[in-house]
Amino acid sequence: MMQFDWTTFILEILNFLVLVWILHRFLYRPVLAMLDARQQHIKDETLHAEQLRGEAETLRQQYQQRLADWTRRQEDNHHQLQEELAQLRSSALEELKQTLADEETKLQVRNQSLIAARETALVREASSTAYAQAAAMLQRLSSPELTQRIVDVFLEDLNKLPDSESAALRKAASMLIAASAVEVVSAHRLEENLRARLTQALSAAAGQTLPINFKQDSALIAGLRAVIGECQLHANLADELAFFNRQIHHG
Amino acid sequence: MNNAESVADVVFRLGPLAISNTVLTTWGVMAGFGLLAILLRLPINGQPSRWQNAIEAIVVAIEGAIGEVLPPASVRRVLPFVATLWLFVLVANLVGLIPRLHAPTRDLSATAALAVLVFGSTHWFGIRDHGLRNHLRHYVEPSVILLPFHIISELTRTLALAIRLFGNIMSLEMAALLVLLIAGFLVPVPLLMLHVVEAVVQAYIFGMLALIYIAGALESTESESSSSVENKP
Repeated sequence: MMQFDWTTFILEILNFLVLVWILHRFLYRPVLAMLDARQQHIKDETLHAEQLRGEAETLRQQYQQRLADWTRRQEDNHHQLQEELAQLRSSALEELKQTLADEETKLQVRNQSLIAARETALVREASSTAYAQAAAMLQRLSSPELTQRIVDVFLEDLNKLPDSESAALRKAASMLIAASAVEVVSAHRLEENLRARLTQALSAAAGQTLPINFKQDSALIAGLRAVIGECQLHANLADELAFFNRQIHHG
Repeated sequence: MNNAESVADVVFRLGPLAISNTVLTTWGVMAGFGLLAILLRLPINGQPSRWQNAIEAIVVAIEGAIGEVLPPASVRRVLPFVATLWLFVLVANLVGLIPRLHAPTRDLSATAALAVLVFGSTHWFGIRDHGLRNHLRHYVEPSVILLPFHIISELTRTLALAIRLFGNIMSLEMAALLVLLIAGFLVPVPLLMLHVVEAVVQAYIFGMLALIYIAGALESTESESSSSVENKP
């Protein structure tokens, strides 16, 4: 069973060496070369991927830097815009305040003028009412005695007439036309003696004899009114009240 | 397993050479490997096929096994020999399972040839890597007295390689034949399964021992070279 054949021994050695060559030539070498190529390809791909990753990282950093710059610029612009808006708002507010102050001033002036006009109107209305009430009151209090008393006061004052007024009276009397007459209007009928005193006093004051025409007018309330040409002498309550009323209206 | 007693029958004569069935089966195995290698070489580029993936897995596994024993620089140099040894011994062990075929490793001439090749390869790779002088130096170190023991060790381990593989495979086939003769049809099937396992184990042991011997030759010369470098002033 343990036969040993030198031919088989030598042929087996040769066969095995040939088999080593065949397998090495056609199997191991191509497979190992392909494995090496694949490994090298994987290495290259890995290297390429690493390179791409590096480039991507660089791009990412650049992008982040740009993004940071853009954000910072945006914040600066936003801050600048806020400042400009604040300035515009402040100036607009100042203008608005100024406008409002002007409008307020105008309104105050207008209100004051309105109030003054209203007050004036009220004063006028009050004075008119007061004039009417005073006139009504005095109308009720008037009497021939009061007219006589006023005539006495008129005669006293006529004797003490200032020179300027006396000169004006004389001038008016001198300019009288013959046809026209001097008119004395009284609120009540005057007695004859009182008419004579008035004629005498007026003639003396005018420096000439005056033809006096006596009339009666109850609107005068009490007293009289003497008209000598362009000169009028008032001594009655109605004219006095009218004088005060005009003074109030003109004031 | 056609005839256990006639281990190496002469099939035909090629001039002065008597071609035995061992050699003929080896040629068949070689042809099969060669055909397979050539066929698998065609689609080596592009998308790998299922067979190509299997071959790549086998080659990568063998390369990894060698890399665990040898330094990385020597792996590719040793790989063709050791890988072929593994593949050939495995197929040669399993060929005996096919009816009317003869397992080459059942022949002592074939296993002795493989053992001699392993013996020669250890010295070949040692001398190739470190030179004849450095390779032979470890036989006389640390003392010249150890030289005979080294020589005896080399010869006995080579002989053991040949005898171990031959003995295991031949005994397996003999046992299967005896069981077949005694028990009849289908009874030796479990024994055939054991044959497969044993064939794989023996192929692995043979290749691994060869690898260890080669690694020993490379490492011994390498360690001596490094120690001599370290001893230099």
